[in-house]
Amino acid sequence: MIDILDGNQCAAWGARRAKAQCVPCFPITPTTEIIETIAAWKAKNEFKGEFVQLESEHSAASACFGASLTGARVFTATSSQGLLLMHELLPIISGCRTPMVMTTVSRCLSAPIGLWPDHNDTLAMRDAGWIMFICETNQEVLDSVIMGYKISENNKILLPVIVNMDGFVHSYTRTEVDIPEQKLVNSFLPHPKREIRLDVKKPMTLGIPAMGLDYMKFRAQLHRAMMDSFDVIDKVQKEWAKLTKRKYDFVEEYKMKGAKAAIVMIGANTTIARAAVDEMRKKGKKVGLLRIRLFRPFPEKQIRKALEKVKNIAVIDQNICPGMGGILYPEIKMALSGTKKTISNYIQGLGGNFISEKDYIAILNDAIKNKKEERKWQM
Amino acid sequence: MADVNEIKFDIKKEMVKDHLITGGTFACAGCNPVLGIRLVLVALGKNTIMVNSSGCMTLTATWPFTPYRIPWVHGAIENGGSVAAGILMGLKALKKDSNTHVVVYAGDGATYDIGFQALAGMVYRKEKIIYICYNNCQFANTGHQRSSATEKYARTSTTPPPIGNPLPRKNMAKIMALCGAEYSATASITNPFDFIKKLRKAATMKGSSFIDVLAPCEPGWVVEPWETLKAGNLMVETGMWPLYEIENKKFTLNYKPKMLPVVKALQMQGRYKHLTEQQVTEIQRTVINEWEMITKGRFWEAEEY
Repeated sequence: MIDILDGNQCAAWGARRAKAQCVPCFPITPTTEIIETIAAWKAKNEFKGEFVQLESEHSAASACFGASLTGARVFTATSSQGLLLMHELLPIISGCRTPMVMTTVSRCLSAPIGLWPDHNDTLAMRDAGWIMFICETNQEVLDSVIMGYKISENNKILLPVIVNMDGFVHSYTRTEVDIPEQKLVNSFLPHPKREIRLDVKKPMTLGIPAMGLDYMKFRAQLHRAMMDSFDVIDKVQKEWAKLTKRKYDFVEEYKMKGAKAAIVMIGANTTIARAAVDEMRKKGKKVGLLRIRLFRPFPEKQIRKALEKVKNIAVIDQNICPGMGGILYPEIKMALSGTKKTISNYIQGLGGNFISEKDYIAILNDAIKNKKEERKWQM
Repeated sequence: MADVNEIKFDIKKEMVKDHLITGGTFACAGCNPVLGIRLVLVALGKNTIMVNSSGCMTLTATWPFTPYRIPWVHGAIENGGSVAAGILMGLKALKKDSNTHVVVYAGDGATYDIGFQALAGMVYRKEKIIYICYNNCQFANTGHQRSSATEKYARTSTTPPPIGNPLPRKNMAKIMALCGAEYSATASITNPFDFIKKLRKAATMKGSSFIDVLAPCEPGWVVEPWETLKAGNLMVETGMWPLYEIENKKFTLNYKPKMLPVVKALQMQGRYKHLTEQQVTEIQRTVINEWEMITKGRFWEAEEY
């Protein structure tokens, strides 16, 4: 079914098609439309799951934790300060190996308070033990929510999933989207036969202290599950591609053939950067673009492979780690350690500051010439 | 529903059943909160899911050991009410909510202070959850700091002598009744039948229930392990911890104490060792005033000590 939807509606449709059974939530701009959409469906009985608005994001995340432990399929969404308020619960949810999907709609952090997007909120969750997808299009958001459940509920993985989109750029921008038919999703995502943790017939004690080496063993298991999830994610994405002809990968290469310089980035602005690459290619310049879609687990191998022949790399960070620089930058450098490349870092678009095609052309021109690694702010 | 005193409970029949919490926990000798869990499970039976907020009772199970024969989960300290709300939501979605009790068992710090918001939200939404606060009048697990359940002049590690805690305690049973709890009550581990009957009554409610159960702490109150029950009993009998229930904002007194002088309760607890005569007199006066209000039907106006 083709429709014109914004990113928030796409996330809501993802939850609806995945037949989420519990939606504990709390409003925050620019996420609110997701829960409003589900509330409206619930009022018309088009959405069959339980829908409860709690008194804070912290409580919403806590309720997600409780609900998922009963074996129900759980969905929620949040942004910015709301995500930071939830932060305490995120390692608890992943540590108890509780599957669920959360959409995070990126919005810059306070203070000063701002409504517009950058990735500081979602990237702050990178150590929480959640699988993280950072999307470029509305369609990708919808598809990733549905795929997210299949990955999350896999008995070998049992990890929660974040599907990220950019506030406003995605959340309030309508594009053409294909909503997959319910039948198709049902066949792709049957109700899981996963272990119910809180079952009076099979009592289990959860979230208890583990001391000394035991604690470390639990953390090692979590890390291993993360690393094991590469295969599962790959399989799920391929299965989805077979059904819908929409291909997703850990990283997405754009015009990387023969590229000597390339942009590496995440998020919605990638679409603008693509246009810059097109423009440069027209002029015969050998440039390309690499978008990281799967942020956690970090697809080190794929990044290394994709950038094997590229000499000059410009890592774009729409975030700032004060006192260090961009967050993506050191990760890309780690993936490329031991190679002789010039890797520069560009901080841009904080608080949703607009980046045009020209800016990316400038960055690429800059990157081609770079003999030394540069760290620049674009403002 | 009837006064709790009219609910029947046959100790001979019910207490000999298999315990749903076994021995061998990491609790201190003389720990009343852990005894409280046993009473809760006697009252509610095996179809109970228990949520715990971080505190002493989190340490009752430590990997790879557990004393629980019921599903039990610990989330964080400030979210007992909302984890339970999530569990209830999940059970509803799976149509399993009709015969399962969702219970929160949290300390007074996690209830009165840091978890207040989650609890107030849960009660406001009228979730069918029984929230039990085991009240040892302090943040015991972190080393006995002041909570807003700490009584006036009591010594804690953050309210040291000579003054002790300068502030009177909050009355959570009252607050919860006003937040929308269908049933709100106080209880004491030393009056187990009263507590069990209140739990049974709470289980019949359609909305939220809140039970604040006084559960003395041996190191926190600075009493001997074998004296914790005696200390709790004296708190009840001196009138310092009235046992009552509030059902749909209607107040009922459940127990008439002997009204011993408060000094009897105070002098056996090390946390009151520093009190001056003046302070003891002030506590006595507040307790007498509170009881005057209660007996004159002006419960809602009574002041806390």
